[in-house]
Amino acid sequence: MDKRKLIPVKCWTFLLAVILVSTGHVRGQGELTVIGNGKSVPSALNMEDLGAILKGETQRWNDGKKIVIALMKTNTPIGSDTCLRVYNMSGNELNKHFLALVFQGRGDAPTFFTSVRDLEEFVSNTPGAIGILDNVSDPSTRVIMVDGKKAI
Amino acid sequence: MWKLTAKTFIALVILFYIGVNSLWGQKTHIRGFIEAHTSLEDSKVSFGLGEQDLFITSEISDRLSFLGETVFAFSGTSESSFKVSIERVVLKYNFKGNHSLLLGKHHTPINYWNDSYHHGRVFFPTIERPLLFSAGIIPIHTTGLSIQGQNLGDLRFGYDFLIGNGIGSSDILDNDKHKSITAAAHIKPADGLKLGASFYYDIISKGASVHGHDVSEQIKQSLLTASVAYFGKKFEVLAEGTLATNRVNDVLRPHTTAAYLYTGIKLDEHWVPYMRIDNVHFENDEVFFDEENATAFVGGIRYEINYLAVVKLEYQFIHGEVSGDNNKVIAQVAVGF
Repeated sequence: MDKRKLIPVKCWTFLLAVILVSTGHVRGQGELTVIGNGKSVPSALNMEDLGAILKGETQRWNDGKKIVIALMKTNTPIGSDTCLRVYNMSGNELNKHFLALVFQGRGDAPTFFTSVRDLEEFVSNTPGAIGILDNVSDPSTRVIMVDGKKAI
Repeated sequence: MWKLTAKTFIALVILFYIGVNSLWGQKTHIRGFIEAHTSLEDSKVSFGLGEQDLFITSEISDRLSFLGETVFAFSGTSESSFKVSIERVVLKYNFKGNHSLLLGKHHTPINYWNDSYHHGRVFFPTIERPLLFSAGIIPIHTTGLSIQGQNLGDLRFGYDFLIGNGIGSSDILDNDKHKSITAAAHIKPADGLKLGASFYYDIISKGASVHGHDVSEQIKQSLLTASVAYFGKKFEVLAEGTLATNRVNDVLRPHTTAAYLYTGIKLDEHWVPYMRIDNVHFENDEVFFDEENATAFVGGIRYEINYLAVVKLEYQFIHGEVSGDNNKVIAQVAVGF
């Protein structure tokens, strides 16, 4: 076999893989990270409480501040992962859940983002905000421990 | 003649700045719901436009919010052929945790359907409301003050206690000194499951105008309702029962019972075949409701394109003791935007 021909093929395959992963087209069931604003949001939660918060069932933090939920849009890979793993819902079911909650006057919809950085910035700047993403890019972002772990 | 002085100009600029900032500072969302349908009845095909529901929510402060629901619908008696009705206007003040005070015009939290679906047809599991609505048994709206709690404790207990203008009142004035009382409670022991019960009491004054009729005697009305709702991954069940008692002079106590059972099977995320059975039964000496015993069967299939667009095809059969049998096939597209 001619090794000179194999090298460019490997390079192209590697390059393609990098592009696909970086654009989110190929994505496994990676870990999700819960982040929270420095004001009002506790530094640790258990999974049960986190579920109640993210479904809009718990509406206030212990200090009375309103809970603001920040999620990636349900049609993004991280948003889709979040729906399945945190809510046990499809993206469509999650949108329906929150539309019904708002329509009944019993809660607020999350703020949705297409960019992880925008979500991270929003949570950092919004008192009472809690959000879910894959990786934290800004070291000053506050990561919330869930059941003692940094990732869920 | 009013003159624009420098001081007035500065004051106007400051007021404008404050106004613009307060507008930008609050989160306001405007949404809408609409439906269109076609039906086959008595060998005649008709096309129809349903209610257009304008839904506005606004976060005025961290604890104060507004909800408004205004419906535009066909009206044969209006010059423009359409009427505008304010269905809900609610100011909500969260005073602690999941507890809130609500002031305004509410959908009376008296049963699951009335408290969940309101005028958003895209949420309805069937094309039309159950018979107990068209029979006028449920006081759909109440203007007043309520206290509400939700998702309390492990069973996710919730309550609504509402005091308001009673039956026969307008949106701006009570027609008598009596206030209606609604007390409702529910639990959500599992995801998708909600069990609820409620009580409604009102004294309807003699002479009050209700559903186009003048009430001839004072009536003490009480309603007891119970509901089971389960909307899961595979099955949907919604059953509600209402016992209404209209008491006149403490002598007559006619009872009315109204119930329906809805079931649906989720074949996948889009397709849901379903059916609903309704029954409304009045006692002979009923003094308030239009006394027509009726049963209904509804069978159909729902295709949920997504959470904002739903298509339904449905067969409806209604048997009324006075009006006889009615068969209808109806298809509906309901959307939210």
